[in-house]
Amino acid sequence: MIDQGKTQLNQLTDYIMKNCLWQFHSRVWDRERQNEGILTKTMQLLCGEPVEKETPADKCYWVDAVCLADAYKENFTWINDMEKEDIKTLMKELKERIDFLTITGSLNAELKDPRY
Amino acid sequence: MPHHLFKCSECIPEREKHAVIKGEGEDLSDALPLGYLNTIPGTISERGCAYCGAKHVIGTPMKDVIHMSHGPIGCTYDTWQTKRYISDNDNFQIKNTFATDVKEKHIVFGAEKVLRDNIKEAFKAFPNIKRMTIYQTCGTALIGDDIEAVAKDVMEEMPDVDIFVCNSPGFAGPSQSGGHHKINIGWVNNKVGTYEPEITSDYVINYVGEYNIQGDQEVMQDYFKRMGIQILSTFTGNGSYDNLRGMHLAHLNVLECARSAEYICNELRQRYGIPRLDIDGFGFKALADSLRKIGLFFGIEDRAQAIIDEEVARWKPELDWYKERLKGKKVCLWPGGSKLWHWAHAIHEEMGVEVVSVYTKFGHQGDMEKGIARCESGALAIDDPNELESLEAMRTLKPDVIFTGKRPGEFAKKVGVPYLNAHAYHNGPYKGFEGWVRFARDIYNAIYSPVHQLALVDITKDEIADTNFLTQNLISDKDLSEEVKNSTTLREYTGNYDSVSQFRTKEYPEFERTKKAANS
Repeated sequence: MIDQGKTQLNQLTDYIMKNCLWQFHSRVWDRERQNEGILTKTMQLLCGEPVEKETPADKCYWVDAVCLADAYKENFTWINDMEKEDIKTLMKELKERIDFLTITGSLNAELKDPRY
Repeated sequence: MPHHLFKCSECIPEREKHAVIKGEGEDLSDALPLGYLNTIPGTISERGCAYCGAKHVIGTPMKDVIHMSHGPIGCTYDTWQTKRYISDNDNFQIKNTFATDVKEKHIVFGAEKVLRDNIKEAFKAFPNIKRMTIYQTCGTALIGDDIEAVAKDVMEEMPDVDIFVCNSPGFAGPSQSGGHHKINIGWVNNKVGTYEPEITSDYVINYVGEYNIQGDQEVMQDYFKRMGIQILSTFTGNGSYDNLRGMHLAHLNVLECARSAEYICNELRQRYGIPRLDIDGFGFKALADSLRKIGLFFGIEDRAQAIIDEEVARWKPELDWYKERLKGKKVCLWPGGSKLWHWAHAIHEEMGVEVVSVYTKFGHQGDMEKGIARCESGALAIDDPNELESLEAMRTLKPDVIFTGKRPGEFAKKVGVPYLNAHAYHNGPYKGFEGWVRFARDIYNAIYSPVHQLALVDITKDEIADTNFLTQNLISDKDLSEEVKNSTTLREYTGNYDSVSQFRTKEYPEFERTKKAANS
């Protein structure tokens, strides 16, 4: 259930942590590029900006971003009324939060293994 | 998220770091159980060995292959017909199992000759099967039998056969997971790129980490075929050896069980540039999102949406019938590796159950991250559980049902808690929209079975007439509103006993090719 009382950042974060898998690859370098790829494209979609999706890798980030952006617009309707700059600020905070939870603050010792 | 030490584990204090309780408002940076460490001797762990992970989980679902264990008969026997990875070639790989039956004298004098003889005998007995996988076991690993050399000799003598050697003896890792890793890397190193299957579509995927348990792969394959997508290979449920040699030709790796098969996806990404898309085949929302993402990748999202709309319209009223009756029921989600995160959020949201505990037998910390992120606060998360801790957890948490394997399920039944087989299902498949309803039905049948009341009746003393026998509906509906009880839209499951065989004779639409690959 979506808790509308939570802060905006927490709502967006909780949605990713409950519903998405792209942020949980098994190594630090992999999580860095996943978070960067998908959250950047999500921000671009929410702001109506063009998104690169020519390479297979970019297209794969884009599909996750489309579903995330659509879910945000459907479940957190306040985002539809936000100004572009405010969306960018919020998405930057979201990226920092997801990076903390899945990379810098993660207690998963396997992340640091240099090989797959 | 405090660590939790079971009373029965006070004599093994290191177990405290393997269990946490998810606190309100806490997140993954607060605590995470340790994972994928060596099993503590004497704990009565639920784990299996690395041979099991390689052979039984990943290797043997390949359907057109002779799977030969090079070792004592017990290794083979105990991994025969104990997992329901069916196939559409009359279950060749379930009906038949092969072993070199290594005895004490072979351990002393070497077993390479008996291996060579058995390989030839097996190919002669099944002349239509030209592919073989050979699995090392503890004994033959310790004596240093060079299985690869023997296989190479046989392939030179018999040029129409191909053999894959899997060096994953039981001791090669802390659990089954060690075996998963070995066979993933072994396959991508030795076999991927050695064959080029025919390309029949503009949209080509490898379906990875899917083992066709009770027909899961065939359910998903039906959706993909309806979208015009070619599953070049499935790693490995209902999968073909030669198609799996052609994994390098796919446009996209669709990954279900990241625990057992993310390794090969990661290597295919590094070596061939094929992207990895993690999906969930369980749950209406997660599955709809997954189909949509695959559709978007290929620019055919309208085809995905048509399937989603049709399936949801057909099956949602039945899922909701069970949800009304399962709300608030307590569940322990105790699978092997990945279902703790595939199912935790979906069963809570879509069936209304409360997940009071999750565990993973052989998962890594990454699986715990996903599982704890997806479960609600208050849940007890356990890594590498054992029998005594499980019993203590059941006495404390008092779940209404447990989803776990059939071995821990038996001791759950002995303390009066019903269980459902999370590994191989009761009446699956559980993937897909219809499958999710089948799962809800099994949960309903487990919780509301009249046997729970009848089993308490002592027929030597109690009058049968006084038992006040209640049917399932009487038990499940007693607190429901009249509106729900009399609903004309909600209904119980109306599918068939066998929901899978239909796919094997089904006709699919032809889609025009816009581009032809070099080898199609």
